[in-house]
Amino acid sequence: MANKLHLETMQINMGPHHPSTHGVCRLILTIDGENIVECVPDIGFLHRSIEKICENRTYAQCIPMMDRFEYVTSMMCNWGFALATEKLTDLVVPERAEYLRVIMGELNRIASHLLCIGVTGLDLGALTPFLYTFREREDILDLFEMTCGQRLTYNYIRIGGVSRDIPPEFFPKCKEFLDKFGEKCDDYEKVLTENPIWIARNRNVGVITEQMVYDYAVSGPSARASGVNFDIRKHDPYSIYDRFDFKVPVFYGGDCYDRYRARMAEMRQSASIVRQALDQMPEGDVRCKVSPKFKPKVGEVYSRVENSRGEMGFHIISDGTVKPFRVRARGGSYNHLLVTPEIVRGLKIADLVAIFASLDIIMPEIDR
Amino acid sequence: MTKEELISYIQENFSGKVELIENDMPEPYFLIEPKAIVAFSRFIHDDNKLIMHFLMNLSGVDTKENMEVVYNVCSYRLKHRLFFKTVLPHEKAEVDTVKEIWAVADWHEREAWELFGINFNGHPNLTRFLLPDDWDQGHPLRKDWVGRDVIPFPEGK
Repeated sequence: MANKLHLETMQINMGPHHPSTHGVCRLILTIDGENIVECVPDIGFLHRSIEKICENRTYAQCIPMMDRFEYVTSMMCNWGFALATEKLTDLVVPERAEYLRVIMGELNRIASHLLCIGVTGLDLGALTPFLYTFREREDILDLFEMTCGQRLTYNYIRIGGVSRDIPPEFFPKCKEFLDKFGEKCDDYEKVLTENPIWIARNRNVGVITEQMVYDYAVSGPSARASGVNFDIRKHDPYSIYDRFDFKVPVFYGGDCYDRYRARMAEMRQSASIVRQALDQMPEGDVRCKVSPKFKPKVGEVYSRVENSRGEMGFHIISDGTVKPFRVRARGGSYNHLLVTPEIVRGLKIADLVAIFASLDIIMPEIDR
Repeated sequence: MTKEELISYIQENFSGKVELIENDMPEPYFLIEPKAIVAFSRFIHDDNKLIMHFLMNLSGVDTKENMEVVYNVCSYRLKHRLFFKTVLPHEKAEVDTVKEIWAVADWHEREAWELFGINFNGHPNLTRFLLPDDWDQGHPLRKDWVGRDVIPFPEGK
């Protein structure tokens, strides 16, 4: 009997343990040959019920939970939660602590972008950028280890300040890193930006239009790659970001290539912020006196910080007791995974890998 | 627009249907009737002076007496923010979906449906989301929820 040619579409599973899904995410793909007809994300494999657990902890005990909420930029998660809680209290964060927060936050942003760019290269078959970026990421993690003893879940930024001051050897090490970082960025650009294979795999792939940015609440570098000039640090400043001179890089293509370029440009700006903060940093306390069982006033707050992959918001309701009444955390990846089915329609499976990597989707942030 | 301008502009255009919640936060906070949610959302999304086209967050809340749905919206173009909420009865928590206005509400609403049991009328895809497919222990973020294997966290001194 002759083999019949099958022309109907087929359903396949990508994940939950696919190496390019960066976490445990299952994508149910309907494919026609190699073209994607439909993509349905199935999430929840990493659900740890952080929101429920927080309702049974004091505010100070919630901070280590936030490290696990999104472990690639734990500093920013600590910061976001601490910032939201401080809005419900009268605590005044010391100047030096604010500067330390900015330094750690920006270094963490660089580390996160390095991870994203390196891993995007790896997913697309380029091993070199991965080795390059992880070399520099290692330096940043060393700085963090020197400061708070941790390399991944820092628990450093606390309510009312930071957990401890930086050691004296931090300054020369950090300056040394910043001095060479500009050159290293040039190296990455040499390997990637002009690389014809990189351009062919990324240009005009997965275009997010400006309208999609608004509809799907895309934020961060992914939104700025689509021509939306909005950075929370610049346009809705929190902490002491209004004291620094930095640019918001905006690109207009909306494709994977521009998302990569937006991240690249942002890393240089972050390095410049760290340099300014190191120069301006005053002496003084790093933490104001907070009781571990303090009670914020009754109220409700939504506060956001600019994370490396978009807006990270915390919605906290306080009923005046030591424990939060309701905590809701919202990360950028949530919206980026939601927009993925829209932009992959009609593309190849290999393009989906590029899109997934370029949006820098981190699953624990979605599942919480 | 500043907080005061936003409050007076919205109260002018939606008089009688919105109620201001006084707080000392930088954003205005309104209480809206469940029936008016879609009309209000459509208005703030389309109005030229508001352009609230960005839904930052949508949370379900169980206040023990009632269920609430809190919406946090902002405008990228005009750089202002607005919060509003609606209060629903515990037994029959139902509100219309805003998915047609902000596409991102799709997942936020699915999550509120799953974890709080709030029903969003008109939502096409209220299916299992974060919890396991064979979950049969109710809505875990409700305050009166008791799980089968939950060990309560010990109270400190």
